[in-house]
Amino acid sequence: MTSIVFDDQKIELESGQTVLSALLDRGYDIPNSCQAGACQTCMMQVVEGELPEKSQSGLKDTLKAQGYFLACSCEPQTPLSIKISQSADLRSQETVVGHDYIGGDVLRLRIKPTGTFDFYSGQYLTVWKSETVGRSYSIASVATRDDYVELHIRRIKDGVVSNWLHDEVKVGDELQIQSATGTCFYIPGTPKQNILLAGTGTGLAPLLGIASDALHQGHSGDIHLIHGALAVDDLYLHQLLIDMASQYSNFYYYASVLKVEQVVPPVTTQSLQDTVLAVAADPAEWKAYLCGSPDIVGQLKKAIFLAGASMKNIYTDPFISANSS
Amino acid sequence: MSSVYERIGGEAAVDKAVDIFYRKVLADDRVNEYFDGVDMDKQANKQKAFLTMVFGGPNNYTGLDMREGHKHLVVRGMNDSHVDAIIELLGGTLAELGAAPSDIQEVADIANSVRDDVLDR
Repeated sequence: MTSIVFDDQKIELESGQTVLSALLDRGYDIPNSCQAGACQTCMMQVVEGELPEKSQSGLKDTLKAQGYFLACSCEPQTPLSIKISQSADLRSQETVVGHDYIGGDVLRLRIKPTGTFDFYSGQYLTVWKSETVGRSYSIASVATRDDYVELHIRRIKDGVVSNWLHDEVKVGDELQIQSATGTCFYIPGTPKQNILLAGTGTGLAPLLGIASDALHQGHSGDIHLIHGALAVDDLYLHQLLIDMASQYSNFYYYASVLKVEQVVPPVTTQSLQDTVLAVAADPAEWKAYLCGSPDIVGQLKKAIFLAGASMKNIYTDPFISANSS
Repeated sequence: MSSVYERIGGEAAVDKAVDIFYRKVLADDRVNEYFDGVDMDKQANKQKAFLTMVFGGPNNYTGLDMREGHKHLVVRGMNDSHVDAIIELLGGTLAELGAAPSDIQEVADIANSVRDDVLDR
C-alpha cells in the first residue's frame, strides 16, 4: 500500500489499485478509455517518484524520457507525485544574445537563460510579446554544448510576433519565454540506429537541433537531413550543413528544391518525399523526425510508415501556424 | 486455456501487429478512405486496443465502445463489406506473424462477434 500526491492532495492507494482508479474514486475527472494500457488516453506525468515499468509500456521513448505514464496501468510500489500534463505557466525573463540573418530571410535569435532552463534540442518554447500574445518556436541549439537557446524565425506576413522579433527586438533586450515542451527530440540509447530528419521551412531548426544533439552525444549510425524548399533562396544555413556533412562522416545533408536552375549537390530537384524514400529505402529499423508544414509532415509520415518504419519510431512536429502570427 | 494474445507473444507481438495491420489498411482501397486524415498516432493506439481485444488479451472494451466509436463511419456508408475486408487484413497480419490457422479463425470469430456493434445494428 502506498500513496500518490495529485492536485496538492495526498491520496492513499489500496493494494493493487491503479492510479487511475484511485483518482476516479476521488472524483477527479481524468480522461480515460480502454483502461488496459493501450489507448493512451489517460496519460499523465510524474513530478517525483519511481514509475513502475509497466506504466510506460508502449509509450514513445521521448514521452518516457519526460516521465509520462499511463494512469490505468500504474500500480505504484512507492509514493508518487503526479500531474495531468506539463504546467503551462513557467515563464521567465531571458536576455537576447544573438540576432542575425542566416539566409532565406530567417532570423537566428539566440537567448541566454540566466538560471536553469531545461530543454531537449528539437522541442519548442513560446516567446511572449505580451501577457496574451505569444508564438512557439523550435530549438536548434544543444543544451549540453551551447550556453544559449537558438530559434529560427521566418517573417510571417502581418505576423505580430515574428515582425516584432525581426524589427524591434535587439541584442540585450529581455524576452519573456516559456518552458520547452514537445516530443520531437533525440533519445540516446541506440547509437547505431539510422536517423532520418526531414522537413520544410524553419522545420530545419528542430532537425538541426536533433542532428547536432545526436552527433554531440556520439551517435554513430547514419544521420540523414533533408530540407525541402520551393526555391534556392528559401534554403538557409546551407553552407553550415554542407560543412557539417564534411566534418562528420555519418552526417548527410540534402536540399530538395522544387524550382532551381542549376543543380549542384547537395541540391536535388527530386521532391522531398521522393528524396526521403530514396534515402530511407528500408526504414524498418530507422528513427524518423518530420517537422514543418503540417500537410507535408502528414504526407511524409504516411509515406515513411508505408515504406516500413514503425509508428513508434516516427516523431513529428507539424508547425500549426496561428493566423497573423 | 491460453489466448491467441499469449500464443503470439503478448504485447510486443501486438505492437508489431499494429504496424503490419495499419500498413495493410492504409494500402487497401476498399477501406482506406475511412482512415484518411486521422491522427496516425491516435489511430495506432486505437488499433492496438482493438487488436488486443480480438486476440483475447486484457481489455475493457465493451460493445458500446465499438458502437459509439464507429457510428460516424456507418453514417459515411461503412457496411459488411468493409468489416469483411478488415477481418481479411487481420488474418493476413496474423499469418505474417506466424499464427496458426486455428488462431486466425479464433480471432476472426471474436471480430465477427462485434460486427453488429460496429455497424450499429
